[in-house]
Amino acid sequence: MSAVRLGSLARGRAAALGPLGRSAPAVLAVAGALVVTTLVMLVVGVDPSDAYPALIRGAVADGNLEYTIGAFVPTLGMALAFAIPLRTGEFNLGGDGQMALGGVAAAALALRVPLPPGVAVALPLVVAALTGAVVAGISAPLHTRFGIPAIVTTLLVSTPAVALSSYLVRFPLAEPRTGIAETPLLPDAAHLPAIGASGYVTIGLPLILLLTAGWIYVDRRTVAGYEIRATGANREFARYGGVRVDRLAVVTMAGGGAFAGLVGGLIVLGPPFRFVDGALTAPGYTFTAIAAVLLATGRPIAVPFTVALMTILQVGGEGMERDAGVPSQLTQVIQGLVIVIVAALATTRVLRERRARRAQEIDVGEANA
Amino acid sequence: MPTGGDSEAPAAELVGITKRFGPVVANDGIDLAIRRGEIHGVVGENGAGKSTLMSILYGLRRPDSGHVLRNGTRVRLRSPAEAIGHGLGMVHQRFRLFPDLTVAENIVIGAEPTRRGVVDLAAAGREIERLGEVFGLYVDPASRAGRLPVGVRQRVEILKALYREAEVLILDEPTAVLTPGEAARLFDVLKTVTRTGTSVVLVTHKLSEVLTATDRVTVLRRGRVTGRFVTAETTADELVIAMIGRSLGPPRRPAAPDGEPDGTPAGRPYALEVDGLTVLDRDGVPRLSDVSFGVRPGEIVGIAGVAGSGQRELIDTVTGLRPPGSATSGGVLLSGRPVRRGREPAIAYVPEDRHGRATAATMSLAENLVMGDHRTPALRGRAGLSAAAVRERARTLVERFAIRAASVGDPISALSGGNAQKAVLARELSRGTPVIVVEEPTQGVDVGAQEQIHGLLSEARAAGQAVLLQSSELSELRALADRILVMFEGRVVAELAGDEATEERLGAAMTGATATPGQAAPAAETESSATAREQGPADAKGTTR
Repeated sequence: MSAVRLGSLARGRAAALGPLGRSAPAVLAVAGALVVTTLVMLVVGVDPSDAYPALIRGAVADGNLEYTIGAFVPTLGMALAFAIPLRTGEFNLGGDGQMALGGVAAAALALRVPLPPGVAVALPLVVAALTGAVVAGISAPLHTRFGIPAIVTTLLVSTPAVALSSYLVRFPLAEPRTGIAETPLLPDAAHLPAIGASGYVTIGLPLILLLTAGWIYVDRRTVAGYEIRATGANREFARYGGVRVDRLAVVTMAGGGAFAGLVGGLIVLGPPFRFVDGALTAPGYTFTAIAAVLLATGRPIAVPFTVALMTILQVGGEGMERDAGVPSQLTQVIQGLVIVIVAALATTRVLRERRARRAQEIDVGEANA
Repeated sequence: MPTGGDSEAPAAELVGITKRFGPVVANDGIDLAIRRGEIHGVVGENGAGKSTLMSILYGLRRPDSGHVLRNGTRVRLRSPAEAIGHGLGMVHQRFRLFPDLTVAENIVIGAEPTRRGVVDLAAAGREIERLGEVFGLYVDPASRAGRLPVGVRQRVEILKALYREAEVLILDEPTAVLTPGEAARLFDVLKTVTRTGTSVVLVTHKLSEVLTATDRVTVLRRGRVTGRFVTAETTADELVIAMIGRSLGPPRRPAAPDGEPDGTPAGRPYALEVDGLTVLDRDGVPRLSDVSFGVRPGEIVGIAGVAGSGQRELIDTVTGLRPPGSATSGGVLLSGRPVRRGREPAIAYVPEDRHGRATAATMSLAENLVMGDHRTPALRGRAGLSAAAVRERARTLVERFAIRAASVGDPISALSGGNAQKAVLARELSRGTPVIVVEEPTQGVDVGAQEQIHGLLSEARAAGQAVLLQSSELSELRALADRILVMFEGRVVAELAGDEATEERLGAAMTGATATPGQAAPAAETESSATAREQGPADAKGTTR
């Protein structure tokens, strides 16, 4: 009689709360992290009323905003690199390698092949994306054929890929006679058109926003998006429904890799317009992005916002160090705490569900009352 | 041995147990006393509240009111560990054994005998052998649990509880996974166990088991006790009335689709034909050996057999979902053409594993209802999948199949088991495919839904669809199927007409009793049964192959 309600009480509570309910863990995590950070500040003798405004100023005041956007673009790109395969239940931890080789490919093409204006920007970006897709695609068959989890294979492929990019930049593509591990300056035609005066904001921003919007559309409104979500929700269910899940896993992994490669291309074609060895991986975009996606619990619509939050923390931390004398590492503490709290909440949820399932297992039939 | 001497204080007593789940009262003031050394049956339909009651007795749930007594003393059971500490033991429907560990290791796990800090498996083995002798439960402590037949694995579970000194042993639907022969042996074991003063609570919905195995019975209906009986003084009819509030009508058999222009199904070509099908798993071990049969339009063919006799492999191959890495020979033909790999679209398929395969719990009811049809033009909008069309399709199905759901946008996990199962059936049957494959269609659903589901399958048959029905409920097969194939060790060892398939004959075939003479015997049997069934000699030929 009231079986529906019984079931929803037991299982569908989070869903019943709607979008707000689904965002609750993220809000809780950020709030919790800020509380702990504030306590840390008080303990070490920093005035939070100095530190937080300095953090915000560092991220958005005057020229800083453009710098923040400059970091937001690659972080959002890397977030998609992680989030797209995650939607089918695959973990892409190899963003660094995909990004580095994508950047090298873009640089090599721009340096070696004279291209007409316009194409000189577009083609290297396309090649960078394709390179990233191929690097990511390598991991997929290792997963589907040999059963090695993607979380392992992507990470394993990443390190040699980064090393290969390093070699290419130091030797075949290096600026002759300087001994610095970087390529020569790319030709002017290959420079990303800037938006605004500082040069930090390029057409990379509208491009990545457009692509993000495209992904959200695909995820919500298309057959492919439906199949991707179904595969992530229950792989066997998707297979049963006729979805070719293995192929889909390869495609989404390659799609994620394409975004990582594209980010590599965007960085190289932006200031300082060359591939500087280590410059792509050093800022840690890949793992900041992973943190942001986890905070968004993988929901496409939430990803740009969590990426913005993480970027503000990252960039603002440096301003805080300058203005308030607080080590910028403190913002890494905040980021770390956010992830720890998200993970803790997820773990308790899983444990609770497992306990409920165990009680229900001996309860077969009971839920059908 | 517990104090209390004679049977004055029951071994375990539940007093005034009430448990609510939201607005639903699963247990409503239930009193239940289990005497020392008795086998106490707890019966009721699915959803009557018996499993909730047992989960309270085993410390998995806490009652809203009421309490539990052990030997007359009130005890608090806040977890299974505490329940075990109070001498309660439970054998779950699904076994919890580690297949790669030995019997001895499985039994002592978590309570290992040690010698100087090292697990003393020799002592464990001796103790298990001693228990085996006392209780008549013989199992080789050194064999790997994963290699044992299901009936023996169940003994290991019972030993596990006895090893932990359980004085009250709860068995939840213990015969669900057993052949009739194994079930009989289980009841012998339980009788032996009670001789030492141990009590057994037997939770079941099968009346025959209650009447053969128990000393006393408590009947539950809708969360209340509706009858207490001494088994020797009661009848099946009395129990049925207590269980469902009325007596059962004659067993329903689907009416033969009469008045059809082309007569009985026997003359039609097969809609689904399995021909010499052999399936080897990854390791090259045969899971299915030379299986051949056919299903005609307008016919329900049942598949019986102990779990793991090849049903899984057969159905996975027929539907195209065979796992990668296995190899087949022989073939599956759909109206003459081979099935497609990776889910055959011309077969509607209702899987047994509702959570693992048939639904995605976190997706909405609507999204669950379009899986498989999501590529069809009917659901397309201007660009991609039309959310409106998906919802519309879902609403239509919800109405047509009387699925009770608050909203098609809610996750399917919010539905009750019966309604989720109806949703799966709605999705699959609405496709109107020529062939339907159904596994355990009424597992874990309440009686009302059961009737509806049986009705749907009979309708499909009457509409000329070919139905392959796999079920472990022999009564279900007997009520619905025109013919029943019995599988044993990857082979079809017998084929019986629905009305000839008595529980005894099915049970014998399920244990492989008829397997030895080879394929000739079942074939001969089929010939005669087909004749009997068709009641017209003209059509007898060609029913079998």
